[in-house]
Amino acid sequence: MNPDLDLAISRIIKAPRAVIWDAWTDPAKFAQWWIPAPTLCKVAAMDVRPGGALTTLMSDDAGDFVPHLDACFLAVDPMERIVFTNCLLGGWRPAERGFMSAVITFKDHPEGTEYGAHAMHKNPADRETHEKMGFYDGWGTVTAQLARLVEPRA
Amino acid sequence: MEHYPEQLNGLFHALADPTRRAVIGRLGRGRASISELAQPFDMALPSFMKHIRLLEESGLIRTRKQGRVRTCTIETAPFAALDTWLSEQRRLWEERTDRLEQFVTNMEKPA
Repeated sequence: MNPDLDLAISRIIKAPRAVIWDAWTDPAKFAQWWIPAPTLCKVAAMDVRPGGALTTLMSDDAGDFVPHLDACFLAVDPMERIVFTNCLLGGWRPAERGFMSAVITFKDHPEGTEYGAHAMHKNPADRETHEKMGFYDGWGTVTAQLARLVEPRA
Repeated sequence: MEHYPEQLNGLFHALADPTRRAVIGRLGRGRASISELAQPFDMALPSFMKHIRLLEESGLIRTRKQGRVRTCTIETAPFAALDTWLSEQRRLWEERTDRLEQFVTNMEKPA
C-alpha cells in the first residue's frame, strides 16, 4: 500500500458473498450500480477471466453511449478476488491512457461479507527524482511541504 | 474516472522532464531569477526558456519581469489539484461501494 498513490476501502456488506459476487460479475446486475443514476450504464463486454475485457459505456439520455471504462481482468478467483486494470484492454492489449489497477476482495464475515477495493494509481513522476526534489512523503503532503518551503522567511 | 483531467495531464507533462523538475525543486527553496535558474544547466538560454514557458503554462510557476530581471516563483495550487485528484478517486470508489451495497441488500429483501 502506497498511501500517496493508492486508496483502499473496506466495507461490511450485509449480504452473502455469492450475492455480491453475482452483482459484480453479471453484466445486467453490474450495470445497475456501477455508474451513479441517472446516468445509464451499458456493459459492452464482461468476460470474467484473466485477459477478458471489461468495457462499460455511459449515457445521460439513453441516446448516445460514450466510453466509460476500458479495462482488462488480470485475475479472477471465483467468490474471492477480482483484479482488473485500465492499463490493458481485453486480450492484454496495451491501453492508450491507463493509470489504475484495482483489486476487489470478497471475504466471509459474521454479518455478511467483507468487501474490499484497493485501487493503485500510476506514479506520474519518477519516484527517485521526486525524492530528490524533497517531496519525500509524496503527493499527500506535497502541498503542505511546498507551503512551508515557499513561506517568506523571517 | 477513466482519464486524468486535462489540467492534470498538463501538470504531469510539465513534471515529466528532469530539467523542469530541477527548476521546481530549486524554486521550492525560494524565488529565483531566470539566470540563477539556468546557471546549473549546460543549455542555451532559448532552450531553457522553453522549459520555463512550459512550466508557466502548466500553472506550476509564475514569472514576473522587473526591469531587466525576470523572477520565477512556485505556485502551490496545482499541487493541491494533484491531492484533490486522489481524494476524488476515493469518493468515486466509496460511492460505487455504496451503490453495490444498496443493490445487493435490496435484492436480499423478500419481495
